[in-house]
Amino acid sequence: MTAHLLELDNISKYYGNIIALRDVSTYVNAGEVTCVLGDNGAGKSTFIKILAGVHQQTEGSIRMNGEEVRFDSPRGALAKGIATVYQDLAMVPLMSVWRNFFLGSEPTKNIGPFKWIDKSEAKRVAKSEMKKMGIDIRDTEQPVGTLSGGERQSVAIARAGYFGAKVLILDEPTSALGVKQSGVVLKRIVEARKQGLAVIFITHNPRHAYPVGNRFLILNRGQSMGSFAKEEISIDELTRLMAGGAELEALEHELQSADTDRR
Amino acid sequence: MSDITMPTATPGVGDERVAYRGVFQRLFIRPEIGAMIGGIGIWVFFWAVSLAFGTTAGASLLIDNASTVGIMAVAVSMLMIGGEFDLSAGANTGAMGILTVLLSKEAAEFGGAGLTLHIAIPISLMVALGIGFLNGWLVEKTKLPSFTITLATYYVLIGAKLGFSKRIVDQIQVGDIRDAKGHGFWVDIFAKEWIRNEHTFGSRDKVYLAAMLLAIAMIVVAIVEMHFNRCQTGPKAAGIPVFVAGVIGAVIGIVVLHTTDNMSGNWIGGAIIAIGTLVGLYGFGVWRFQPIGERDTVRFTPEIVRYVGLGVLGVLVAILVAWRMNANYPDADGVEEEFFFPFTKQGFRAASFLLAGGFGFTMLLVGGAKARRVSATTRSIISLITGAAIVAVAFFVRGESSSVKFRSEGFSVLLGLGLFVAAWTLLGVFFQERSAVDAQADRLGRRLVIGGMALGTIGLLTKLLFVKASELEAGIDPAKFSMRTVWFIAFTAVMVWVLGNTRFGSWTFAVGGNKEASRQVGVPAARTKTQLFMLVSGAAWLVGMLLAFRLNTIQSNTGNGEEFDYIIAAVVGGTLLTGGYGTALGGALGAAIVGMATLGFTSARWNSDWRFLFLGVILLLAMLANRSIRTKAEGLRR
Repeated sequence: MTAHLLELDNISKYYGNIIALRDVSTYVNAGEVTCVLGDNGAGKSTFIKILAGVHQQTEGSIRMNGEEVRFDSPRGALAKGIATVYQDLAMVPLMSVWRNFFLGSEPTKNIGPFKWIDKSEAKRVAKSEMKKMGIDIRDTEQPVGTLSGGERQSVAIARAGYFGAKVLILDEPTSALGVKQSGVVLKRIVEARKQGLAVIFITHNPRHAYPVGNRFLILNRGQSMGSFAKEEISIDELTRLMAGGAELEALEHELQSADTDRR
Repeated sequence: MSDITMPTATPGVGDERVAYRGVFQRLFIRPEIGAMIGGIGIWVFFWAVSLAFGTTAGASLLIDNASTVGIMAVAVSMLMIGGEFDLSAGANTGAMGILTVLLSKEAAEFGGAGLTLHIAIPISLMVALGIGFLNGWLVEKTKLPSFTITLATYYVLIGAKLGFSKRIVDQIQVGDIRDAKGHGFWVDIFAKEWIRNEHTFGSRDKVYLAAMLLAIAMIVVAIVEMHFNRCQTGPKAAGIPVFVAGVIGAVIGIVVLHTTDNMSGNWIGGAIIAIGTLVGLYGFGVWRFQPIGERDTVRFTPEIVRYVGLGVLGVLVAILVAWRMNANYPDADGVEEEFFFPFTKQGFRAASFLLAGGFGFTMLLVGGAKARRVSATTRSIISLITGAAIVAVAFFVRGESSSVKFRSEGFSVLLGLGLFVAAWTLLGVFFQERSAVDAQADRLGRRLVIGGMALGTIGLLTKLLFVKASELEAGIDPAKFSMRTVWFIAFTAVMVWVLGNTRFGSWTFAVGGNKEASRQVGVPAARTKTQLFMLVSGAAWLVGMLLAFRLNTIQSNTGNGEEFDYIIAAVVGGTLLTGGYGTALGGALGAAIVGMATLGFTSARWNSDWRFLFLGVILLLAMLANRSIRTKAEGLRR
């Protein structure tokens, strides 16, 4: 078996006696999308934070291309090629598109010890990278705050790709967006996949996950409900598993009987 | 995955939602523009009502007073952009002065280290940076608001200042720094003075005039280049001779104006200048711009009529009030009549004239902007009305005013403005205005503006730094420029550059705008903030040195409470109190405004008890103006 780009093997995370995540395994390959689905409190945030280097797993191992790795800090994870795009923390709204694009890694020119940002290069690259993502920004001086939510996510995705990310983690990129904007973001995910990135797409919306995903990891109350390839699972099955399977059916029953009671 | 169906997003979405912005909006929508306009307005106001403004002595006093607050305001603006406050900044300035004096004082029973200033000054810089580091480190470690942490530092500093001063020299005042070893070397760096009356330069006015005229010409060309459409068929050489003829005419007019000394000579000179300028600009337009095709119809909406009506009314009221209130300034005994508290009659007359006139012209400008949306021809008509009003006011001022500065300087500036409006209208009638971005023309325009501003600065500096022999004979007030001013300007320039062009500058905006996001993408947020605190305390050290070498002795309460002046200056300059938005230049301008308000009251001989009321009103107005500018700028910001 060839090694996967990123593989998680029986990851568990305890906060004291609270079990946030138990025995979760999945993998993602370059040019593929692995969707992580789960309702609120399923452990999605803990899962991201381990991958992003914010927290470390208590048990289990993470392998990149077959080699065991450990992410000690967000910077460390970034250095190994894991880029995380958070839903709400992605951008500085009052700063321009190009400044946001290069924030933290600005290209510089220098004379001796004096260094300054190579503005024209930065603007040019930001514009062309955005174009590759299918967004034509007329003026990269535009503050990011004036972009729509979907475009903002797109800037973040383009940025991650440009800075050599191998694995792109997207935390609920569509949850705050309208239908059309979600479509824009899903399109970027497909675009990123085509460019050979491995994408981990975290969402609680199976309808967003199913069209773009190659593999689905379902979390419920900190436990893995299984990791499936697209061929193995239908969207209905996915929805059912996500909501806790039997639990949802029980709930439906309850609601129905409540309905009849009222009558 | 070819089976995916995606909702289609229009490619290049956003483009059709972004409206084209005119040249003035593009050039002038910047965070500091409110402060700049406000500063000019207040300067003109005090220039009109007082004697000291507008003279070189007044300017040197003003900028000298503003320089120490200005340096701090620039540093504090940067810290505020980074999302933090430093309440210890004011007390820190005095503390650094006291520290340096105490370190350099002769060793006595209770202290005085007796160090030479070559050692004492670097030590105090280290201490200052240490205090800044401590502030930043505590804020980052504890995650407490910097407001509270630096409030504690503030009390520590005022306590230490008073305690050590009393303990060591048994006074609340320490000095004298002139006794310290190495004073001669450092006094040149921190307090050397340029005494204007000692530097004569015979052809000063020629240099000044040439630089200023060239600067104005460059800026005017920049504005028209950025405003009108380039000729679609390429430049038309036919316009060049007209342009050249016009320029030559204008130059001849200027020479005539400056070589004749009688009334009719002046009139002829002025007329030649006006005609030459208009012809020259028309030629320039023929050469480069696209002629207007079909002219649109004139249409006055009720809104436009209302604004223009209010505008004309405002100008008329200004003229009537100033005309009816014959000021008789000063009366036969040289005493000014107090009209009502706190104004003199002359002051009230000038103030009401400026306020009503300012209101009138603002309304006319707004009316013109509204008309632009309706039809270009309507706008041209309103421009003509505005130009006529300016010329009317100019002649009224000339005929009515008893003081020379209104009759000559005020009159010429107003006529120049009228000429500009006339030229603008003329070009608007003949040539097509731009309605889409032309990056090439914008780049050219921006370079011309920068060049023009540089030339203007050179001209102004020549005028400010040198005297003519004739002025010395007339007994002109001595004016002094000190190293404080040089430090102020240099510090501001460096910080403006740092904020706009370096990683540190970018990170400052980022940590103030969204700290978590910037940390996510690898901005060292804690380090950036700590460096900002160190920048403020480093600036406090610089100001401490400037104060020590100006005053020679330092009071133990020097600088206490001034931190609010810095914050006020920063806010007036357009810096957002919550961080993430602002400029360094704004802080400097804000300091100048606060300084003008203080100096203006005394030099206008108004009761200076009222100056805080005035300052409060300015602060409020500045915040309102900045708020609306920011909302506009969020659509387009450089």
